[in-house]
Amino acid sequence: MNTQNSIGSISVVGIGWLTTEAYGCIRTGRRRTFEPGEGAHALTKKGIFAHPFKNYGRLDTLSRMTAYAVSLALQDANIEYAPGRKQDIGIIGTSSQGSLQTDREFFEDYVSSGRTLSRGSLFIYTLPSSSLGESAIHFGLRGPLLYLRGAGGGLAAVLDGAADMIATGEAPLMLAGQAEPHDAFYCVLAQDADRDHEALCDLASGRRIAAANTDIPSLIHDFSLLAPGKA
Amino acid sequence: MKAVVVAADMITPYGQGVNACWEGLVSGATAISPVTRFITNSFTSSVAGTIGGLKYHEGESLVMQMLGLLFRRSGVPIPRDAKLILATTKGEIDFLEMSVLGKAAEVSQCSLDTLLAKVEALSGARGGGQIVSAACTSSAAAAARAAAMIRTGQSDCVLVVACDSVTEFIYAGFSALMALDKIPARPFDRSREGLNVGEAAAYALFMSPERAAQENRTAIGELAGWGLSDDANHMTGPSRESEGLILAISKALASAERGREDIGIISAHGTGTLYNDAMEMRAFHRVFSGTVKPVYSLKGGIGHTMGAAGLLEMIIALRALREKTAPPTVNLREADDDAAGWVSQRARRTAGGTCAIVTNAGFSGVNTALVVSL
Repeated sequence: MNTQNSIGSISVVGIGWLTTEAYGCIRTGRRRTFEPGEGAHALTKKGIFAHPFKNYGRLDTLSRMTAYAVSLALQDANIEYAPGRKQDIGIIGTSSQGSLQTDREFFEDYVSSGRTLSRGSLFIYTLPSSSLGESAIHFGLRGPLLYLRGAGGGLAAVLDGAADMIATGEAPLMLAGQAEPHDAFYCVLAQDADRDHEALCDLASGRRIAAANTDIPSLIHDFSLLAPGKA
Repeated sequence: MKAVVVAADMITPYGQGVNACWEGLVSGATAISPVTRFITNSFTSSVAGTIGGLKYHEGESLVMQMLGLLFRRSGVPIPRDAKLILATTKGEIDFLEMSVLGKAAEVSQCSLDTLLAKVEALSGARGGGQIVSAACTSSAAAAARAAAMIRTGQSDCVLVVACDSVTEFIYAGFSALMALDKIPARPFDRSREGLNVGEAAAYALFMSPERAAQENRTAIGELAGWGLSDDANHMTGPSRESEGLILAISKALASAERGREDIGIISAHGTGTLYNDAMEMRAFHRVFSGTVKPVYSLKGGIGHTMGAAGLLEMIIALRALREKTAPPTVNLREADDDAAGWVSQRARRTAGGTCAIVTNAGFSGVNTALVVSL
């Protein structure tokens, strides 16, 4: 396959984010503040998912944060999803600690049993890519899926990887983001030529912001400056 | 731009080097053996593909011991400006085990960032590193990333390093999922009952042809195309319709600008589980429309090496093309109905087809397909 699409023509067409205080969509300029005592867990009651999230109760923290941010990002990019419907959208995600939290939970639980009983329901979340898998199932993402972390972490390497995949024709749309226990941030990338999606910024601009900011609140702030009406 | 492989090496339960693995597979002997590094009484199996001589919970992690052996033996110069992609599922998880068990280690020692830095120092690849983890497709996905970086002109030299080890953590997990066979695994066999975990480390150095020529390096093969997909169906069970793997194979063929008729050999993921092997054979039947192709799996020989599997299998597939030989599927006694005629207990000369396809699948429904050629 020839490289069909130029990296230079790739854009960010939607961003979803959440912190302990608020959540929102950047391209469409939505921002909501959590009530005191609320937090990300309140999002399920606010109808963040278009349909019930199967097995939501067993999800670990990073899987939930990823799912919330992905839902917001898809909303921001005007991408709908439905049960049983699969789309050619891939997802690359990162986090600062990978699966360390779930690794500890699994192994400590196993040791506490006298090293006789291990739980498969905990084991399946002991991969850095597991949190992405739950989102792939719920949102019907049948494109590439992988955890990617550049040296030093952050979103820049993830954006590069996602852009490569679009440029080489591996997927027409890619989700690229970062999830941590208390905040999460996901972008949707697409080709400029795709008239179904309005661009917030080009990839180069997005990459500059990602390279300059390694924490999610700073990413939210700087990307928000690009939103219509903010420039 | 093409992505060619100019150097590759591995350490597996068959021993050090590609030759040791190839000869082990072709002999039909299995390297699966009883686990001695931890007690297996509580588990559903007691065998695995382990590498002899490694020390467990005695200081250096298993993966670093393997990588140390690999790079010290290799002697292949790695360009300093090579980018590095490290593929693994659990890295130095033995340090977390030691910490939880009250041995001298800190949980922070199992950070993948730390492992990446160690591998950069060991390999000499200082052009910038990243970690790729995609369950049991990790190193196939990493190889695809390397080739994509070369194809898009971001780099002309990328080192992919893959590793995973047999630890109590991993063994306990797969046992809990009832995924282990009590005896050496029998991929595609009518009587198969699960997988064996295995450990290995490998590297492949990818370059553009121009860079390879500048350095007088001979290509041992090309990663001509790749496809990645997700079943979007279940966290552990593969899709019953195989549509995810079919999509990955279709993408890989398109990426390589090759047709089905160009495929001479199929290196399957072939774990030995009922569902994976059935899913793969269904995909092969659909993609190749009933035209039988030689299929084999390494996993009866060395076990399922998790994050290292895809890269090992890519390297062996290139060897298979060069030898014009599909290795046997080790431990196969009687092929299941859907695999009859496709898999064999014996090595087979191959005729026709200039390419091999390497398939992998993993938790979260991930699928990869790589098309390699000489």
